[in-house]
Formats: sequence, structure tokens, C-alpha cells
Amino acid sequence: MTTAELLVNPLREGLSANRVPAPCSLVIYGASGDLTSRKLVPALFNLYRKHLLPTSFSLIGVSRSPISDDQFKQRLKEMLKQEDPELTDSLWNSFSQNFHYLAGAYDDPKAYQSLSILLDQKDQNNGTAGNRVFYLSTPPNVFEDIISNLGTSGLAKEAKGYSRIVIEKPFGHDLDSAKELNQKVQEVFKEHQIYRIDHYLGKETVQNLLVMRFANSIFEPIWNRENVDHVQITAAEELGVGSRAGYYESSGVLRDMFQNHLFQVMCMVGMEPPVAFEANAIRDEKLKILQSIRPFTPETVSQFAVRGQYGPGFLAGQKVPGYREEKDVKPQSTTPTYAALKVFLDTWRWHGVPFLLRSAKRLPKRSTEVAIQFKEPPNLLFKDNVSHLSPNVLVIRIQPDEGMTLKFETKVPGMTTEARTVNMDFRYGTSFAEDAPEAYERLLLDCMLGDATLFIRGDEAEAAWKALMPVITHWETTQPETSFPNYEAGSWGPAEADKLLEKPWRQWRRL
Amino acid sequence: MSPLSSLAIEHDLTELWKETKPAREGEPGLQRVYTTNMVAYAEDHETGYRVERALMDLTQFHPGRYILIRPAMDGTEAPLRYYVSGYCPFWTQQREHRVCCDIIKLVAQKDTIENLYGFTFSLLVPDLPVELWWPGDLPMKNKFFANMAEESNRVWIDSSKFKHPEESLARLASVWPKRFPNTVLGDMNWIRIQRWRALIAELFDGAWSRHLSQIKQVTIEYGEGSHPLRGFMLALWMADKLNWKYEGPRVRAVPEKLRFESRSGPVEVILKAVPVQDAKRDRIFAIGILTGGDTPGFFTLVRDENPHVVIARAEVDHHEAFSRAVTFDHLHSNQVLAEGLKRLEPDKTWDAALQLAGSIFEKPVSF
Repeated sequence: MTTAELLVNPLREGLSANRVPAPCSLVIYGASGDLTSRKLVPALFNLYRKHLLPTSFSLIGVSRSPISDDQFKQRLKEMLKQEDPELTDSLWNSFSQNFHYLAGAYDDPKAYQSLSILLDQKDQNNGTAGNRVFYLSTPPNVFEDIISNLGTSGLAKEAKGYSRIVIEKPFGHDLDSAKELNQKVQEVFKEHQIYRIDHYLGKETVQNLLVMRFANSIFEPIWNRENVDHVQITAAEELGVGSRAGYYESSGVLRDMFQNHLFQVMCMVGMEPPVAFEANAIRDEKLKILQSIRPFTPETVSQFAVRGQYGPGFLAGQKVPGYREEKDVKPQSTTPTYAALKVFLDTWRWHGVPFLLRSAKRLPKRSTEVAIQFKEPPNLLFKDNVSHLSPNVLVIRIQPDEGMTLKFETKVPGMTTEARTVNMDFRYGTSFAEDAPEAYERLLLDCMLGDATLFIRGDEAEAAWKALMPVITHWETTQPETSFPNYEAGSWGPAEADKLLEKPWRQWRRL
Repeated sequence: MSPLSSLAIEHDLTELWKETKPAREGEPGLQRVYTTNMVAYAEDHETGYRVERALMDLTQFHPGRYILIRPAMDGTEAPLRYYVSGYCPFWTQQREHRVCCDIIKLVAQKDTIENLYGFTFSLLVPDLPVELWWPGDLPMKNKFFANMAEESNRVWIDSSKFKHPEESLARLASVWPKRFPNTVLGDMNWIRIQRWRALIAELFDGAWSRHLSQIKQVTIEYGEGSHPLRGFMLALWMADKLNWKYEGPRVRAVPEKLRFESRSGPVEVILKAVPVQDAKRDRIFAIGILTGGDTPGFFTLVRDENPHVVIARAEVDHHEAFSRAVTFDHLHSNQVLAEGLKRLEPDKTWDAALQLAGSIFEKPVSF
């Protein structure tokens, strides 16, 4: 606990905006990049409008581009104006009054000295109280330079206030590099100072998984192998690889989506109730799920995993190129843009229940959801009129159209006892007129508040890599079972994925 | 008009929504959504008009079942009439549905209203919270009010609309917890000053919080010609949060000066009327907080010429410590309730301030 955190303000108690962090400075590395202008600054601006930014707050952008404070601010303002045309000059000036920019190479110790001087000035003049958050929004290849320089310049030390580091994904490229990165960052920062970000965890519906499971008593008793037939977690993207081919060629869908987003969502669905709603209690339970993933072996990969790559096709009636025709993609690339995994969690609760995980680019629509499919009733009571009953399905839609649907059977009005499947629907958009905060808003706020619940701990990141590495390695060292491309852009992926379903009553959900 | 029963009203609503379904297939559908029940009472036609407008606006924030009750203007009218209207104030994110809800207006003779609570209950959507909005002074002995208040989760008042605010607050402090122990009391006037409370709190975030125990004097400036109630309630909130003990005598009206005792010594609160041009917008204009100790400070919040900006400034040990422009969102009257409905839990800060007010004002003679 730092001195600043001990200074409690009793006037905050009971205010509607009582989750306001103590004064601090936020240093963004990679400040001239897309993430800063498209996500981070808009998120900070929203926090500011909601009066959730600390009163004494300064933002320092660091990047290699030699631009002035004014140019930096102007660039951010223009981006923000695109999002919010009603942004007024006075509002912007008030928001950005303590924004600064420092140009410098990430491996240049002098740049860190300049930063240190500027931060001290801000503490002195703005009352930022020695509290610092360093946000690494750079390509991963410079993470180590920044981390070690923050260490040698003394900026990682929690002297007057706190010092925290936020590390954007990808956290490592494989298990070894993740371990190495963990080691490097832990040499400089203690675990409680490290915030590994996965923006999926900032999404309202992902957090609602915990509320739904643990604030209601009706779900937990049936949330187990006795009642659940299987779980499907899907993250479908309509977009192709776009301008990210450079990154995507070396990562593919497993690194891009599974190691972080899908595994994290699976943890939220599968974890045991934590002993407290507190960062480490929740992360302990998530870790157990990652550790319980039945190991893939080179022999079982083809039985439990299916890969694919999109070819040319049509989306919304428009012809779109195949992956291999995208800019900066190798013409013979075998990078998977589709993956489906059948994961078994070797726990008491989930023994024998397959978790079917699927993510891909160029599917017909963008949609992320969790579907819990329950077992069929043991006895078909209405067999005179009903030959088959659809199983109950609880769908938790993460994006878009956030909400939940419960599919169940009901009697068709009339003189016979026929059954038909109907949906009971809850939509966030109808019950709450207020928009949910953007993921980065929530995560930036939590980091400033020192709440790591929605961030990934080092051992979690490593456990996720460990579980996934056999599939990655196998796929990178063998040719695809069916030649790529093996699914058309705009389709629901390769037909081979059906083999993961195993039972005749299971099918991939059409979203 | 159908014969009067809650079923008749529900039937009319169903018919209303059938008529307004999309004309063509493929057009976005309508979805009736209820997240709350609100019953509002308006004692006259003018208040009724104002309250109805407010309820229409509230549907944008909290789709729900809204019921407005007002007395008939003419004693020869039917004992009870009703009107139903539907509102579809917003779209779902993907524009798949328009979100709709309804307002039921009941116009009744005064003696009918006395016994209208059972009928009103029958119109509520089950299993949803019930909010009762009663603009003006609360008629504690009124049968309709008492029954409704007892069955509601929360009763909304607006202390700025009380005819005799001091007396009414003293009465509420004394009577409410005993008479309606299970019903939360919410004050719209308290929500109006919530931004000021947040701004004062912000002055003392982080390292500045050490000055809180050294506060010597608080000056709150409000628009001349208006009642000092908001400034007074703000001072009571500070007193409660900072454990100041009231040292003065019981008073009949809000005084210009209040004396408290903190751990570090006396604290004086001055409520100062100042001439202003836009008294209607908001009735607090500036707050100054003087602190003592080894490093005396002066913390101020002053409204800027731009009505959406307040300048927050601190001078510590005769040097400027900080100065910043912060946004100030004026809540329009219809947004006040929308803000209040966001949370269902009792506002303990308001309860504490009300009890403190009850200990400062003269005790009410009769209930």
C-alpha cells in the first residue's frame, strides 16, 4: 500500500462517482499509434465526461515521431472530433490541459531521464502525487527495451506513489517468449504492479458472466456435467486480415484469438465460484481452468482441432479476396484464419463436457457468444405429437446486441400437445437505456484504481500458452489436412469442423 | 371508453400496441419493455402537465410502466377516467427494435383518489420496483399517499418545492423512519447538488485530503432571491462526512451562519446571497473553503462565464497549488429523476443529512 492510497477522502464515500482514482500521470508508449488515438484517448475522454478521471491527471505521450505538444494534441483532437462531432473547443481544452508529448527512442536512457523530470514537474505543479501508469501500446519487440529502461531510470519504483505498467497483447509469441517476457517485467516490476490487458475482459457482457453465474441461484445447480451437453464459444469476424497481414502472418488465429480472448471467456464460464470478488481470488480460479485443459498431443491435435483459411468469396453481395490474395500475405501461406478446438476440462464439474471453441475471419457476420447447450430431457413424454425436442440453450451474446437468450420448448396453442421452441430474450439495449462503457474505459479506470480483477496474471498467460502450444507447433510443422484455402469467405468455415461435434445431435450454431 | 377495471386498461394497451405494429414486414418491430413502475401524483392541472412531460422524458432513460394520477378539475366529471398512451423513445443498438412503454393517466374525483391505491396497485407490473413521485409537500395522513408509500420501494420528493422547507424537512427527519421504515425516501433536490458534492470531493483527492481535517470556514454563495436550502444541505453533507458537531441552537429557518465543531476546532459555515443574473439555472455559484494548520489553504469552486465550466482552484501556503477548469453538467429537471432512478439502494448520505437537518431545525409541533 502506498502513501497516496492511504490518503482517504471521506467526501468521496456515497457519491455516485465514487470510483474515482487518486491523482496520477499516464504515460503512453507508442503514443503516435492507432490504439492511442482510436481507443485509449477516446476512452479517457469518456471517463473525463463521466467525471471518473482523477482531478489531477496528466497524460504524457511517448513515441519516436518528432512532433510537438501542440501537434500531438491536435492529432488527438482531430481523431476525437471524428468520433464525437459535438466536441467543443472548451471541452477539449479542459480535457487536454495537462497533455504532453516526448519524442525519443525507446532504448535511449536520456529519453527516460527527460520523462522522469517531466513527471516530477507534474507531481509538483499538478498534484499527481507520484502516481504513474506506464502503458505499452508499442509493437512487442520494444517491450523489453522500455521495461528495462523504466527499471534503470528508477521510474518503476514505488517511492512517493504507485507505479504500474500496462502491457498490451500479445503477451509473448509462444510459451518460451511469454516466460521470458514475464521474467523481464518481473525483474523490474512486482506482480501487483503489472497489468496484462485483454480488452475482452473489459467488455460488459464478459463481466456479466460472473454476475449471471454468481448473483443468481438458478444457474449454478445446473452448471455442470450432469446437465450440460456441451459449451460453444464463438468469436466470428466478418473482416478479413486488412492492414494487419504483417502481424497476422506470424500469429494466425490461435495466437490472435484463442490464447487470450477465447480462453479467458472459457475461464469465466468454467471457473468455480471464487472465495471473494477480488483480483487474485478470481485469477486463482481462472488459472485452475487453464491448468485443467486436457493436454493436446501431436497425435490428438487432428482429432481435437480443425484449421482453415479463407479463399475468395462474397460478403453482403460483395466479392472479397481470399487470404492469400491479401496485401503482404505470402501466396502459399498456411497461416490459419479459422480454428475450431474441442477442449476438455479435466475437473470434477466439467468432466466429459466438450467446450467447442471457434474463431475465424471472413465469416458471414461479426458475433461473439457463449452458448451453453443443456442435455435433452431423459424421457419423451409427449411422443404422440412430438418426435423430437430441441435441447435448452442459454446463449450469452458478448457482441453485438449484448444480452442473453434462453431457448426452451413450449406448447403450441391448440387441442393437441405439440411443442415448439421459443426464445426468452434479454437485451442490454432495451433494459438499460444507458450505453455500456467501452472496454478500454473500464480497464484504464481499473488500472488507475489498482484493481487487477480484469487483467491477466503472469501465471495465467503462461498456462494459456502451455495449453495451446502443442496445437500451434503441430500446425506450424505439418501441412494442413485439407489444402488451403478450405473455406469460402462469407461461409461458416470448413466442413471438417463438424467432426469435432462427435454426436449426431450436436451442431455448430448458426449465429 | 371501456368499463373501468385494470383488465380494461390492459386490454386497451394491448390494442394500442397492436395498432402501432410495423406496417410492413421487415420494418423494425416494437418491443414493450418494463424495467420499473412509477406512480406520480399531481395535485392540479398545471403540475399534472409538468409531471406528464417529465414522465414522457423519463421513458427515454428508464422504459417502464408510468401511472399519473390527478384530481378532476370539475366536480361533475366522472369519478374516474383513464387515458393510455404509448411511447417508443429509443432503438436497440442494432436498430432491430424500438423500445416502447406506456403511460396510464387516471383522472379522479378527490374522494375517489383517497381509495384509489388498490386500483393503482393492480396496474403495476409485478416483480419490478415501485417508485412514487409526489411533487410538493407530503400529506402523511392522506390515505392514498400512506398506502402507496407503504407499498412503494421509494418515494420521491423535491424539497425545493416544499412550501415550508425547514418545517417539512424536520418533520420528515422525525416521522419518516418510524412511519415508513421499509420505504426509501429520495430527494430530487439532493440529486441537483450531487455535482457540487463531487466537485468539493475532487478538491480533496489524494494528497489534498490532509487539509480536510483543518477546515475552518466554508462559504457558499447562492443566487439572491432564492432559498438557501441547497447550500445548507451541502454544508450538512460536509458536516456529516467530516464528523463536525453542530454547535448552534435549534432554528426555525436556515440561518446565514452555522457553527460546527471539528476535531481541530470550530468550523463556520456562511451561506451568502449574491446578486446573479441567471438565478434560475442553478442556485449555488461559488464555494470557498478555508483551511488552517501548518500549511493553510484556500480551496475554491467558482462558476465560470461558461455555464458548463467551474474553475477549481487551491492556494496552499499562499501559493497556487492548482487551478483547473472542470465541466459542470446542469441536470434539467427531467434528468434529475432519471439520474435518481439509476440506483435502487437508499442514499445514506441523504439520510444522514436529513437527520442532521432534523437536529438543527425546531421540532415540528404536530405530525
